[in-house]
Amino acid sequence: MEAPVDSAAHVSINAVSACVKPNERVHLLGLDFGSTTSSALVASATLSRSSASGRMEFSDTVIEFRSEPVFTPFIGQTIDIVKVTALIHYWLQQSGLGVASALNIGSETSHLNTSIIFSGGSIITGLAAQADNAAALSKVIHLIVGDSVIATADDSCLESWLAFMGSCSALSRYHIDKPILNLDIGGGTTNAALGINGDVLETGCYFIGARHFQFAVGSYQLLAVSNYGAAILKDLKIKATIGDTLNINECEKIISFYIKALEAIVLGNTEFFSSALAQAHTQVAIQSYDYPEPTITFSGGVGELLYQHAAGGALASTTFFGDFGIDLARAIAHSPILSANLNTEQPENKGRATVYGLTLHSTEVSGHTIFLPKPDCLPLRDLPIIAKLSLQSPNDQWQRAFSLAAKRELGACIQIMGFDALNHDKLLDETRALAQKIKAHYSANQMTNTQPLLILIEANIGKTLGNYISDWGQCMQNMIVIDEVPLRNAHFVNIGRLHQQLVPVSFFGMH
Amino acid sequence: MAIKILKDLKAIKLPKPSAPLPYFITMHGRTFTFRDLKHVLGAADISKAGDRKAGLAATDEIMREAARAVLSGLTLQHFFDNPLTNNQGQIDSVMWVNYDIDHATFATIAHLTFGELKDDLLKSTGAHIRQIGVALTGVMVAALTKLLDVHELVLLAKKLKTGASAKARTVVGLPGTLSSRLQPNHPTDNLSGMTMLLYTGLSMGSGDAILGLNPAIDNVANISATLHHLDKIRRETGAPTQICVLSHIKTQLACLKDGAPVEIMFQSLAGTERTLTDEFDVTVELLDHAYKTMQTSSPLAEVAENFMYFETGQGSELTYNKHEGMDMATTEALCYGLARRYSPFMVNNVTGFIGPETHLDNHEMIYSCLQDHFMGKLMGLAMGMAPCYTLHSQVTIEGQQMATELLTAAGANFFMDVYLGTDRMLAYFDTSGHDDQTLRETYNLRPAPEFLAWAISRGIFIEDADGNVQRGANWGNPKIFCTAEGKFQESEFQRLQESVPAIYGFENAGARPSNRVARLMKANQAIGREAIYADLRPAEIGDIALRELHTAANNKSEHLNDPALGAMLADSVLKTLKAEHNDVQIVISDGLSAEAIHHNIPNLLPVLLDGLNSRKLNIGQPILALFGRVKLAESIGDALAAQLIVTLIGERPGGDALASRSMSAYFAYRLNDKATQKAAADFSGNAEIHYEYSVLSNIYSGGLPSIEAGSVIAEKVFEILQYKAAGNRLENLMQHHLIPH
Repeated sequence: MEAPVDSAAHVSINAVSACVKPNERVHLLGLDFGSTTSSALVASATLSRSSASGRMEFSDTVIEFRSEPVFTPFIGQTIDIVKVTALIHYWLQQSGLGVASALNIGSETSHLNTSIIFSGGSIITGLAAQADNAAALSKVIHLIVGDSVIATADDSCLESWLAFMGSCSALSRYHIDKPILNLDIGGGTTNAALGINGDVLETGCYFIGARHFQFAVGSYQLLAVSNYGAAILKDLKIKATIGDTLNINECEKIISFYIKALEAIVLGNTEFFSSALAQAHTQVAIQSYDYPEPTITFSGGVGELLYQHAAGGALASTTFFGDFGIDLARAIAHSPILSANLNTEQPENKGRATVYGLTLHSTEVSGHTIFLPKPDCLPLRDLPIIAKLSLQSPNDQWQRAFSLAAKRELGACIQIMGFDALNHDKLLDETRALAQKIKAHYSANQMTNTQPLLILIEANIGKTLGNYISDWGQCMQNMIVIDEVPLRNAHFVNIGRLHQQLVPVSFFGMH
Repeated sequence: MAIKILKDLKAIKLPKPSAPLPYFITMHGRTFTFRDLKHVLGAADISKAGDRKAGLAATDEIMREAARAVLSGLTLQHFFDNPLTNNQGQIDSVMWVNYDIDHATFATIAHLTFGELKDDLLKSTGAHIRQIGVALTGVMVAALTKLLDVHELVLLAKKLKTGASAKARTVVGLPGTLSSRLQPNHPTDNLSGMTMLLYTGLSMGSGDAILGLNPAIDNVANISATLHHLDKIRRETGAPTQICVLSHIKTQLACLKDGAPVEIMFQSLAGTERTLTDEFDVTVELLDHAYKTMQTSSPLAEVAENFMYFETGQGSELTYNKHEGMDMATTEALCYGLARRYSPFMVNNVTGFIGPETHLDNHEMIYSCLQDHFMGKLMGLAMGMAPCYTLHSQVTIEGQQMATELLTAAGANFFMDVYLGTDRMLAYFDTSGHDDQTLRETYNLRPAPEFLAWAISRGIFIEDADGNVQRGANWGNPKIFCTAEGKFQESEFQRLQESVPAIYGFENAGARPSNRVARLMKANQAIGREAIYADLRPAEIGDIALRELHTAANNKSEHLNDPALGAMLADSVLKTLKAEHNDVQIVISDGLSAEAIHHNIPNLLPVLLDGLNSRKLNIGQPILALFGRVKLAESIGDALAAQLIVTLIGERPGGDALASRSMSAYFAYRLNDKATQKAAADFSGNAEIHYEYSVLSNIYSGGLPSIEAGSVIAEKVFEILQYKAAGNRLENLMQHHLIPH
């Protein structure tokens, strides 16, 4: 039935568009290049305000394309850029984002309409992240996909965070009070992340993986051993070289080391990691945490095998994948500590957790009332987060931050803390005070109108803060204030293009 | 299949309108004069707010009985010969269609008085009553209804239960059944939110009549997307039902053309042509076109016999002041005469939706619902009911529940299922899946047979050896649909749950929500109700000096019950005002929620004024006007000769405590120079236009917080003044960067 809105009776009105268009879908792209395998994911989603968090988020997510993992193409230690280029084109064509004519192997031209991608991420890890490889990969991704997708190399804590978000984000919010420790076990590393109610609290990274030992399929005849694998052989006094076949006892000893290391991570047993071997296997140690008996989940390739096994599925025959993946999965299933929650809590996406996390969780969505006088200045890439300040921060910290920002020709970012918890009555006064402080330091440091200065703030006050700083848009045209973005411990931030009054915000260099 | 062929409008036999006749009667020594048949009909009904406002209601019981006595003595032929005409003395298109009756049957009853007809029907069986109904116009049905008491309205409607069913994918309205429309409305049309509400409703055995969504945004892209989504959920769950998105009929036709699954076509109907065409943008010809299109192009063309879904409810014609002098029940019956032409799958009556200007309290709402249900059934319609209320009326949940009990006894085909009774998009309160199941258990009723079989297969219901249907283990458990390979997906459930506001919980106590959930829901509703009745406390809205002006509404009661009073300043105030010629005049009014003003103005107004002052605009001293409505802007704008009036006003509270503090900003741009007025007139097609409007809504801490709203409003003021336009014309000029000189 139709009836006039009471207070608007008989008035033909036009709604001011302060909100996004419902059910208009945006595309998200994730590319994951690891030591062993690479994969891609394309999703579409709508942008809407979450009833739970109150923030703008991706919603109604649909996975449009999910590639099979393929071996990352290398020529020796160098990434095979021709094959990678073809691979990206192939994924885009398969996902519907690109067109078939772009399939020419080695072509660097693309028929992709990059404007349809709202945000995306590309993570480059392990061997693929070594200096020359990472640069070459970043370049080719940028050439093909454009600047909506941010390439990040060798950021192990980010990878742990992404794996948690890709596998346990919703599960963790469902079990609101239950801490969850996710172990993402791949070919080269185990990325650990502890989270509660959807927030990651701690991350770590260990060189524990399935492919430090590579075998002839169907046997334990060694074809390759990584430096970490070699250290284990030495420590365990296993005298085996390439071409030798490990016996069952030797295999069990190696697997046993891995299992003890994983159990030590779960139990917070720092003593285990005091040995030279264990230390050598630690890239970033997960900090001790105050949550006893967290629920243990797994993701990554080994996690995928593990849950198959737990569900009663038959595992492939010995070293079917030419590595220790199957053995690790079996051993984890037999560890009472590691397998405690195997049949009770099921994470999502498992083997593809990282690329899911990359596609769906690496990007935050800003609030829809931001201060952005010149939308054409976007995207902004690799802005260093030079300070985290609050109104209460000492003046010298403010001064130092703005002095640093003034020296950054390509722009800088300052995170503002402490406003989200303010009570309603103080908010306006504090907003005006903050604006005055920023304006004063900005003027004192003689920043130019060509240097982007990004203010990130969690509270929904971006537009008004920007207006007070800039005298309602009449000065300081390089100022950008983006709100409703949760603060992260990261070194850099990227801001994508404006879409429906929102911008995508992604962090990297997490610590 | 029995699909109805439309009768050519020209073939409908019409009487020739004549000058209205007065009617006289003396009762208990008092002589009553009724100006015409419309006034007899108006006075013969119980007293309702809308009819009182229209000057049609009887002033006392004796007058009412006098009018009923007049009606009792008039023949059906007299009513046929004296059509109720519009204000120009003509039969409008809605009345025209109402004369499409079974003339052969009418010839056998034309001589009866309405008193005789009533007695005859009470002695009759359903088949005879149904046959008579086909021979009556809406006005005749309304006249008869005014003579019926509550028991008679229930009894006669109950006799009409057999034969009131309609068929699409399911058959709805069979004896022994009570169906439901599952209404998964979401404030932003979020698909996950809809999914959550659909899963919840389906798990409660709801939705056998239809999965029907009221969209927040009515455009082809959004409606198509939601239709496809509802279709996907229907297919995935396997629930045998049909889907509908209740957008405008033109939008649905466009969606159908684009290939969207428009299984059942919806439209709101009105009982006068002026309301139907001017306000609902629909003509009989358009309805004919839609009906014929559905017969050939609906995805259900091969299985359905009925394709249309109409909604009505007493009072919409009156609210638009286009009731042509007729009372609310009569215009409602005329809606049914129009609906009858299309043999709809569903007619849903939402009396109570509008507010206290039509139905003040439980008594008025309940009686109107019983009238409407009987009238619809008598006219052969597949009637369902949505007894509902808004928080600014005096209708309460208890009154609504009493209405549903009576309507179930009367044999209503279906009710709504709005989860926990709180509509998250339309800010009103309706029946819930819990209510529907409670009524099924109380009256030993079942869902539609096809749907019941599916629900039993999903463990939602069980049927014991004696054939009794009871709640099964899965009743009320939406998690049964969040599964993959037979296993519950916690993550999926969590994501869906997070997309719905005011969900409160899923625990049940039998067919009712658990006490914890019920208390949460009622506490939130109580806050909403109090927001309406709270008085504005000027001391709590900051320290900026305001000038207080009075509207023509003298108190809260007048304000709530007569929206026109709040749309103008009191005469005594107008006399004191002089033209000020400011660029901007800010007006603050409680509207329907003083709490919205208390919560938003202290932070918003200083920001807004700072913003306006930054551009050195001439700003009138902000005005505080108690008991105001949006159109008050024009009264103030004309008196002060302000260029732009920004009205900050409390909105009608819904069922969520936070959202009950929601405020809107209306921008009324005064078209005071000839060139601008001409441009606006050309753009709108309304030669008399003198204000253009834009609106910014949802200003509250859970939507657009007040501190940000101050900036957004200031920026919108800059745009309106720069482009000398508001509303769609402003957006159009901005899109093309056409700044006037």
